[in-house]
Formats: sequence, structure tokens, C-alpha cells
Amino acid sequence: MARDFIDLKQFQMKGNLSPRTIGLAVVAFLTLVLVFTSWYTVSAESVGVVLRLGKYSHTTQPGPHLKIPFGIDQVTHVQIRRQFKAEFGFRTEQPGIRTRYSERDFEIESLMLTGDLNVADVEWTVQYRIADPFNYLFQVRNVEETFFDMSQAVMREIVGDRTVNEVLTVGRTELAVSAQAKLQELADQYQTGIRVDQVILQDITPPDPVKPSFNAVNQAQQEKEKVINEARAEYNLAVPAARGEADQMIRQAEGYSIERVNRARGEAARFISVLEEYRKAPAVTRRRIYIETLSELLPKIGRKLVIDKDLQNVVNLLQLGKEGTNNEDR
Amino acid sequence: MKTARLATIALVLLVLITLGSGLYIVDETQQVIITQFGEPRGDAITDPGLHFKLPYLQTAHFFDKRYLEWDGDRNQIPTKDKRFIWVDTYARWRIVDPLLFYVRMTNELQAQTRLDDIIDGATRDAVANHDLLQLVRTSNREVTVDPDLPEADLATGLAEITTGRTAIMDQIQEVAQARSVDLGLEVVDVRFKIIDYNDDVRQNVYQRMIAERNRIAQRFRSEGLGESSRIRGEKERDLQEITSEAYRQSQELIGKADAEASSIYAAAFGRDPAFYDFLKTMESYPAAFDKDSWLILSTDGEFLRFLQSARP
Repeated sequence: MARDFIDLKQFQMKGNLSPRTIGLAVVAFLTLVLVFTSWYTVSAESVGVVLRLGKYSHTTQPGPHLKIPFGIDQVTHVQIRRQFKAEFGFRTEQPGIRTRYSERDFEIESLMLTGDLNVADVEWTVQYRIADPFNYLFQVRNVEETFFDMSQAVMREIVGDRTVNEVLTVGRTELAVSAQAKLQELADQYQTGIRVDQVILQDITPPDPVKPSFNAVNQAQQEKEKVINEARAEYNLAVPAARGEADQMIRQAEGYSIERVNRARGEAARFISVLEEYRKAPAVTRRRIYIETLSELLPKIGRKLVIDKDLQNVVNLLQLGKEGTNNEDR
Repeated sequence: MKTARLATIALVLLVLITLGSGLYIVDETQQVIITQFGEPRGDAITDPGLHFKLPYLQTAHFFDKRYLEWDGDRNQIPTKDKRFIWVDTYARWRIVDPLLFYVRMTNELQAQTRLDDIIDGATRDAVANHDLLQLVRTSNREVTVDPDLPEADLATGLAEITTGRTAIMDQIQEVAQARSVDLGLEVVDVRFKIIDYNDDVRQNVYQRMIAERNRIAQRFRSEGLGESSRIRGEKERDLQEITSEAYRQSQELIGKADAEASSIYAAAFGRDPAFYDFLKTMESYPAAFDKDSWLILSTDGEFLRFLQSARP
């Protein structure tokens, strides 16, 4: 169009302003305008929704397309293949699609009541796509705002039906699944044309002032484990050792038993053998044993006294005891 | 010639302007009512596309036909159980009878103001008529319990509710809807976006939560101590059991062995007790005496009698 304009100026400067030239210029100008306003390109992630005189006509896929110019066909590009992300309770620093929310107080968004009337700090993101461009454009005014309102209402409704413990720990996955289902239900009810891909729970924490006491619970839980483990360790230290000792005692008793019985058997056998020989010649054997014993015994005895059979009061004479012993030692 | 040409141009212009005044485009998002000297004429036009009205005499009024937004202010409202909470609602509505809407409201701004009154009022009524619990919870669903936490310690369990959040929101919507029927609009949905404690209450709730957690922590600690005492007791018991059991077994073994030995001895020695006496006595002599012992032997004893005479 710029070139077209210059061309006109050149004509003017030359001063060849015949009506024919002007006519040609006008036709050329209009043709150019027509060419430039009667085609458009739909980018790869979008579709083009065409309104003809305000009425929906058709939807076009990526690529160049023709349209009727002069505002008769109006094309709105809708990015149906792009996934969008909305953040609640926090904001990503880098500017993106949600930067217009960055001045809000996030705590207001993230603090919510649980079913047991406690407070939890819930941060989440919603990933969504535009599934139905027609509904997205024509059924709800300010559709994104609506969708964000719905997301908040749904999350609070669901958190409000759970205990703070469920929200913080065991119920997390179920919470996300329920939120997604409920949000999709609402989005369909309003005909927003939005498909919820995923509700992702980010940080779910107790409110800041309460956090230390939650940590204290964790600590106490660990303390409990620790104390119990210590006691178990003591148990494990003492009991197996005692079992060993007990085993030892029993083995010893078994040893004693074996020894005792063996000894008895041995001694009995020995006695029986001796007895058998004795029976063959009792008197001689008896005497032999007596003499053998004495001859074994006598060398061991330090002091021997032989007295006559008629001697009386021998013990007095001997002065047995200390003195005698002493004399002997000297 | 020249006047004829001018007249033609004027006529064309007139036709164009007239057409411009008579033709109008209705967008997919719009609905239109036509007024003639301020009086509505005919039904609302909701078909998108090109339409025609009487030029000059009739005026087209455009209204949105989509779901429209309404966002309430954050209000502090006391509940039935006298707790002050912040309530932030949003609603979606649409113009269902544009003719009536035009007559009553003229434009959307008016409608928003009326909706403020209607929905805020309905919300206040509903909140003031219900306990906080009813406003927060939706259902009496079964609670999942964390097996690690002593749930019994949590003072505020999930008490039964009779109405519930969704039902209350529906009530508000019904009331708002009933009150706005003759405004030509429909309140499609009213929802609590935010229900939150006011700051004073919140501090109290925090204190309660802290106390509750401390109680749980305390419980864990005492459970730990209790369990460890139990284990120690078990240790003592097991030790005593093990030791005494071993003692019993060993004593039994020893006793049995003693008995057996005894019977063996008795069986053997019983064959000749007298000889046993003699033999045993003989055997014991060498052990009974040592070098410090005195032995006084009489010459008429068995052993020495040969000292006196070789004759027996």
C-alpha cells in the first residue's frame, strides 16, 4: 500500500492529472486493498473462526485462507492446540499469560477452610485447553475470568469437604482428581468450551504461623520411633545373649549328666570285675588289698609311731599338738 | 445535465444513508430489540446475521446474550453460630428477556447494581441462617484417615451436616433468580469463591490448630515412652523366662543323671555290700592321710604283728 501511495504522489508531481490516470490509480489502490484484506493466515496452533456479517460461518485450519473483505468476514484466531496454565496462590515470576494477576494478595487466594474448620494453604495450577472454539468465543463473556473464578470456587468446595490431614497428606491425589472432575463439570455447565487437562496441586501446607507445630508433630513422631528403636536395641542386645547363656547352662548340665553316668558305669564295671576276682579267693584278695593299700599309704605319712600292744596312755606321753610339732620343726 | 448528475449523486447518497440506517448486523454474542419512538416493537432478535429495520424511525438496542459475569465484594457476614467470616461470591447471569430487560434496566450497568443488591442480600440471609460448618462442607463423606496420625486426638472431627455448601449456594441462586425474574434476566449460578475467617477469628483458629498439633506431638512422645517401657518390660520378662527355663532344664538333666548313676552304683555295689565297704575304705585311705598325719600303729595290729613274730 505504501508503494501505491508513492506512485500517486509521483503522478501528482509530474502534473499528468488526466481523469484517466486518476481512475487507474483509484482502481489500482482498491485492488491492492482488496488483495490485502481478503486473505489471512491461521498459525499452526490455532484455528480461525469466521463470522460472516456477525453470524458464525465456518472454522478454518492452519494455513492461508481467503475471506470476504470490507468487514463482511471477520476472523478470530483461537489457539486450540496450545495448553494454557493458570496458577492459584502463587505466580511464576517470568511474565506469561497470567501476569495480570501478579498484584493480588496470594494468601487470600490460597488460604482456605477445611471441613474440620482448620485452615490450609493450598497452591495449585490448572492446565487447560480450548476444546470448542465456538463455545469459547460465544457462550461466555470474559471466559477466562469465569474459569478462574470457577477454579477457586471448586478448590474451596472440595477442600471444605475434607479434613486438614486429608488435604495435607493422605488425600492429596484424590483431591486433585475430584477438583479436576468438578471443574470440568462446571466448565461444561457454562459451555466455556474449555477442557481441563489437569489440576496439579503444588504446595499444600499449614498456614505459616501453624507450620512449626506441624513440624513438632513430625519431630515427635521421629522421637517416638527413636525411643522405641532404642528399647528394641536394648532388647536385642540382652535377649540373644541370655539365650546363649541359657544354652550354655543346659549344655553344661548335659555334660555333667554324661560324665556322671559314664563314671558310674565305669566304676560299677570296675567294681564288678574286682568282685568277680575276689569271689574266686576272698580271703587272699582281701588281705592283698589291705596290704597293698597300707604299703601305698605308709610312705605318704610323715610321722609314724609304733607302740607295744601293752602300752597304756600313749597319747598323753606323746604330747600331740603344737609343742610336739614345734619341736619336730626345730 | 449537470443538475441531473447532482440529483443522481444525491439520490444514491440518500439511498446509502437510508440503507445504513435500516441495516444492522447482529453478532453471535448479541441480541437486539427494536424500539420505535422509545416503544419496543416486535420480539427480540437473537439470530446472528444481517437484519433490517425501518430506517430513521426505529432504533436497535444491542444486548449480550452470553453468560455474563458478576463478582461480589468481599463481605464480612456473621454466621448463625456467630462467627464473622469473609464471604466472596461470584455469579453468572444472562439476559433472557431482552425486551423486559430493556424496559426495567435500560442497560447492563443498572443490572449489575441491582444484582449487587439481590445477590448480596440473598447471600447475607443464607449465611446468617446457617452454621459455619454447613457453609464449608458439602457432604457427609467418609473421611480418609492417615494411619500414622492419632485421628481421635483431633478435637473438631467432621460433624454431620444437614444442608451443606452446594445446597446453600443453590438456595442463594434460587432466591436471587426469583427476585430477578421480572428484570428479564436469569441468575444461572451463584457460588462462594472465598469463605474465610476474619483476622481475629483466624488467629484463634491458628492457636487451636497449634494446640491440637501439640497434643498430637505429646501423644506421639508418650506413645514412644509407653512402647519403649513395654519393650523393656518384655526384655526383663524374656530374660527371666530364658534363664529360669535353662536352670530348670539343667537341674532336671542333673537330677536324672544323678538318679541314673545312683541306680547303676546300687546295682553294682549291691552284689556284695560288705566287699564294697572294704574296698571303698581301702581306696579312701591314701587320700585321707598326708605327711603331716600321725600314724600310731600297735604291734598287735594286722599289719605289724609280723614285727614281733614271723609266725602267724
